Amino acid sequence: MIKMENNFGTILDINLTTRKIQKIKLAPEDIKNFMGGRGLGMKILYDRIKPGQNPFAEDTPLIFMPGTFSGLPIPSASRTCIVTKSPHTSPKKAKYEHSSTVSYSNMGGFIGPEIKFAGYEGIVVTGKSPFPVYLKIEDDNVEIVDAGKFWGMPTDEFDKEFDKELKHEFQTCYIGKAGENQVSYACIISKASKTAGRAGTGAVMGSKNLKAIAVRGTKMPNVANPEKFMKLIDDARIFFKDRTQTQWWRDYGTAGALKPSSDAGSMAVKNYREGTFPDIVNYDAETARQKIWKRNYACYTCHLSCKKSGVVSEGRFKGTIVHDSPEYETGTMLGANLLLTNINDVMKAIYDGDNYGLDIISLGNTIGFLIEAKEKNLIDKDFLDGIDLKWNDIDSVLALIEKIAKREGIGELASKGVKVLSEKIGKGSDEFAMHVKGHELAAWNVHVNSGTGISYATANRGACHLNGKNVEGQNGNALKDSLAICFFATGWGGYDEQQLVDFVNAITGSNWTKEDFFKTGERIFNLEKMLNYREGFTAKDDVLPERFFKEPLTVGEKKGAVLNRKEWEQKMKDYYTERGWDIKTSKPKDETLKKLNLDFLV
Amino acid sequence: MEKSKKITDQTRRKFIKQVAIGGGLTIALGNLSFTFISDEKNPLLKKKVIICDFSICAGCKTCEISCSAYNFKNLAGKQTFGLVNPKHTNIKVHQFNPALDIPATCAGCPDTPCVNACPITINQETGEKALYVKEGTMAIAVHEDKCIGCGLCAKACETERVGVIRRNKETGKPEGLCTYCDGDPSCVKNCPYGALSYVTVDTEYEFFGKSPEEIAKILTERFYGV
Repeated sequence: MIKMENNFGTILDINLTTRKIQKIKLAPEDIKNFMGGRGLGMKILYDRIKPGQNPFAEDTPLIFMPGTFSGLPIPSASRTCIVTKSPHTSPKKAKYEHSSTVSYSNMGGFIGPEIKFAGYEGIVVTGKSPFPVYLKIEDDNVEIVDAGKFWGMPTDEFDKEFDKELKHEFQTCYIGKAGENQVSYACIISKASKTAGRAGTGAVMGSKNLKAIAVRGTKMPNVANPEKFMKLIDDARIFFKDRTQTQWWRDYGTAGALKPSSDAGSMAVKNYREGTFPDIVNYDAETARQKIWKRNYACYTCHLSCKKSGVVSEGRFKGTIVHDSPEYETGTMLGANLLLTNINDVMKAIYDGDNYGLDIISLGNTIGFLIEAKEKNLIDKDFLDGIDLKWNDIDSVLALIEKIAKREGIGELASKGVKVLSEKIGKGSDEFAMHVKGHELAAWNVHVNSGTGISYATANRGACHLNGKNVEGQNGNALKDSLAICFFATGWGGYDEQQLVDFVNAITGSNWTKEDFFKTGERIFNLEKMLNYREGFTAKDDVLPERFFKEPLTVGEKKGAVLNRKEWEQKMKDYYTERGWDIKTSKPKDETLKKLNLDFLV
Repeated sequence: MEKSKKITDQTRRKFIKQVAIGGGLTIALGNLSFTFISDEKNPLLKKKVIICDFSICAGCKTCEISCSAYNFKNLAGKQTFGLVNPKHTNIKVHQFNPALDIPATCAGCPDTPCVNACPITINQETGEKALYVKEGTMAIAVHEDKCIGCGLCAKACETERVGVIRRNKETGKPEGLCTYCDGDPSCVKNCPYGALSYVTVDTEYEFFGKSPEEIAKILTERFYGV
């Protein structure tokens, strides 16, 4: 029957080894200090892992977190954050065999709100099933179900078959072959199009023999001040109606950034060697609208519908379904970064990457890196199992994607990303292995924008474009990830901080100011930083690939752009100072931690 | 279009049969009197219903949320204050792969297969069965005290039309009947995309009375060629 209790505070805890299922009440202090989503997930992670823990160990938790706003009718409160220990990162000097950063990855869709409707603040999965399983969660009823018949199934087919099995009543997320095979940059996908792409969450899921999670909830979360809350909802709906940016998202989605970014020299082109790609007009938003896209579609409660679905209508890949591409990251990483010029080739590469359940960003980096290494004769065709890998060559790209997902031959090494590849290849290849802490860079180039460099260098999951270009931005983003509000609906004409603070107060009954908003984000960021620091990550790991300092752009209006090392070093010093971290080691100072109520980390 | 017409004819035949058994029954609706046999006099032909432009709908479920807030102000004896769970709603967005979102709600069938299926004897004073046509909005509604929870209305809707009527898990009584929010539908008002409209029913409309699965099949082919 319908329940309307305030369900904040209960997590569902499932151990796949013992098959024990528990509902655990969280400490109210933790919710107050870390809210939900990424922040609260990170506190749960902290409570449950030891320093140096193997991400693939049975007792490593994989944590599915909606946020404070999830399940409420707030426009664009659709996100779900998955938190675990990264299987993909490593420090320069490892303190432990399995030293790695925290991992968090965020997806849109419908499953986060559904977890809240089922009555949970989050789902924590530990242990390892001896055979493939999925979790079926319907309010208080939780089942661990044999998933043998689904194991190995590509994500697109699985999405349909699983939905049939569940009689279309559940929201789901799942892994593909890459996750099953523990490719360290495997992702978790929902609805064939929404991916928690980064930081290897899918590999951890695969290590637990967990194919999927299905959730259905009939309850609803409560709020402290319903009248005030509903007034804010009405205001928010009008707010989005009036924005010109709303129409921009609908017309173009993130693909709208493809051409402008190329023009600005800020695009990842040719393994980040360049920032401009004139051929991007072949698959920018305007072209995709003409040739590929049929619909705009949205996540739960969202007014923006940034997602675009369609189909390849001509050529050898005719009939390939396009779930959501090109968008900026996928179109760049499996497009411009590999110098692909044909829209249909790019659509096919993205489809295959998604279908195997790979993070397209790390995948595009890995392929780009190997093409460059081969072009420079650091590796040969034999190293690549006979694949004649080269720029703008879809066949070799597709062949490599398959090898990586299956971890066959070269795919075994390539499944670990560019850092491991460059260590194996040597010969100075680390200078164009585009990663920070082992996590590959996203689709924004750094030559023309040192702020992006800060975002990459200081992100707690390794290189991340969503981290924030400065301290305040990073703190704000950490909190938004914890509230489960979409970044696309905040900033740039979306909600400002005060609007989000007003929602927080109406929901929780607290009296937050904007200062509390940023301070809570700062607390989350510092907790992550301390988790990384104890693994052995220091200031020496907060570095960008050499390419940005040594090889100026040669194409486009920003020709000649390069980072100035001295300015960069000063920028990092200023950053640590502003953070209240030690400049040499990057360790948060005791007084910084105390100020943030993180005394337990001192 | 062919299919819905065929269904209409079938239902009409069934209805004529029923009427014959009842001996030329006339149903009173407020101060209107009409029979279903003569379509021109059927006021339900002028009923306003909610239809969706599927090329615009983005599947955000704001319709479900708005419906839930208006029509489920009390759940389990508690006030909901506009907080929602889209399970408790009279419009349901069905999601498909390749990406398609089909909001399904009462089609406003002028031949009311659901009411026809209701086995409860017509009340001679009101002319109503347990399932009946409300005055004003002409919404299909249920007399909770008379309904026996047999599920025949839900079955009729599912086999002959959209399939919006679901049965309460405990009582078996029908849920999911559109109220048109007393004439100003919340889903239409709040749709961020303007995909929904409240217009006079058109049985010739391509998707009239079709189930979400049938619509999805047509549109998947149209949009994606598969």
